[in-house]
Amino acid sequence: MKALLLRFEPIIWLLFGAGIMVGTLLLPGYLMTVTLGAPLGLLPEGALSFARAHMIFSSPLGRLVLLAIIALPLWKGAHHTRALAVDMLGHHSDALIGSLLYAIAAIGSVLGILAVLAI
Amino acid sequence: MARPSDPQAMTPRKPGSTRTAPPQVPDDFWTQPRMRTYLLFDATGIVYLLVGLVALRVAWALAGGAPVWDALLRSFASPGYVIFHVLALISAIFVGVRFFRLFPKAQPAQIGPVKPPPPAVLHAVLYAAWGGITLVLLAVFGGIWP
Amino acid sequence: MADSGELRKRTFVVTRFDPDKDQVPKTQSYEVPCRPEWKVLDALNYIKDEIDPTLSHRWSCRMAVCGSCGMNVNGTPKLTCKTSLAEYGDTVEVAPLANFPIIRDLVIEMDGFMEKFKAVKPWVIVAKEKAAEEGTYRQSPEQLAAFKQFSMCINCMLCYAACPVVAQEPDFLGPAAIALGHRYNMDSRDEGASERNEIFRGEGTVFSCSYANECSEVCPKHVDPAAAINQSKLLAVIDWATSFVVKREK
Repeated sequence: MKALLLRFEPIIWLLFGAGIMVGTLLLPGYLMTVTLGAPLGLLPEGALSFARAHMIFSSPLGRLVLLAIIALPLWKGAHHTRALAVDMLGHHSDALIGSLLYAIAAIGSVLGILAVLAI
Repeated sequence: MARPSDPQAMTPRKPGSTRTAPPQVPDDFWTQPRMRTYLLFDATGIVYLLVGLVALRVAWALAGGAPVWDALLRSFASPGYVIFHVLALISAIFVGVRFFRLFPKAQPAQIGPVKPPPPAVLHAVLYAAWGGITLVLLAVFGGIWP
Repeated sequence: MADSGELRKRTFVVTRFDPDKDQVPKTQSYEVPCRPEWKVLDALNYIKDEIDPTLSHRWSCRMAVCGSCGMNVNGTPKLTCKTSLAEYGDTVEVAPLANFPIIRDLVIEMDGFMEKFKAVKPWVIVAKEKAAEEGTYRQSPEQLAAFKQFSMCINCMLCYAACPVVAQEPDFLGPAAIALGHRYNMDSRDEGASERNEIFRGEGTVFSCSYANECSEVCPKHVDPAAAINQSKLLAVIDWATSFVVKREK
């Protein structure tokens, strides 16, 4: 398992890099509006009503942005959680924990693709 | 005084001629301030994982129709979700600041014919991009434009 | 020698370990009358000269260029010849470098470091050496600037003592070894970057580094190994990607 992880490490690192860069760039705007502003009624009327939200996120760019917000944080998250696990627990279970975390990120990314296509 | 690190840390393949004591770290190795900040930085990984998974919910809700979407927004208004998303916002800012600070020195002096711009320029570009993208998203998702 | 000021009594709590007698390391305290200008090393040498000749510790140049005297002082990896006692209070703890097996007292086993060091092939690799008649290798100041910083390492191993990944992942190549490999990868005379990048992606993987930056915080020569490691990640990935396109000669 460790050998498999080593083989995929360059791709994982690229995805992690994209996750930390693009994910971080996109997250504040998304979090302040979609997850906090709209639910708490802080946005103008109808800003993220279903009609308007669907219009935004069913556009090609909207789908891409939402996919980026789903998938890229998953890879950043998986990689850093793995690093935390090594720091706290040592390296013996690293292969297992790393594989599990990257599997979550991979499955989440695939589900994300399916989800944004379904919008 | 000291606690063990991994018993094999820095151990040579071929053992020396005398018995060695296992590697150790100082008691405050993992708790000294800079290390705590670094561990917090790693711990944002857990937050990012959850943010991604919750964003999956957002996409599925949009695909599910107006009642599902409205129900999602209602559930996001619950204290648990609000606290989580505020934590996520703080994490994203913390990650961004630390990552941008360390980004320039992670660029090699040259890749083929390409050289990176000076750190000050890189910082300016990164923060401008961050601010710009955030403003655009606030405008679009915030109902200002289009 | 002229009197340089009042002596100050400090207590040094020093790690002791004799493999012939001790099961585990222990500490021993020494009262040392310290001169105001002393470094930690001066106090250790005083202990060995005047109080306890059985104390073992490494040192050599006394001017922070040989890299021999690295130890953990009050929990932080330091060059003891360069660390002024004025930074400390009445009690100073001196321990061997963290993350290394301990041979005796303050002396650590270095062979593990030497293995990682040699693994990165720290020499100029060229397919065919230039004949002497062809002259020397020429390098512009700009080409030198691309790697000079990373060549300043004195192999003091403070970075290994500070690194959380070294503490937990025995296979990790570690800051100094990666910085040195990177030094050669960035050297315009070198043609061995692909070879080294394969090593960087191997068992000792540079990607294990989680950018704690502790190595650069403790480096006494401002090598900034964290910069080297993270630059190496990008270059190793580019090398990996281009390896599918460009055929490599072994």
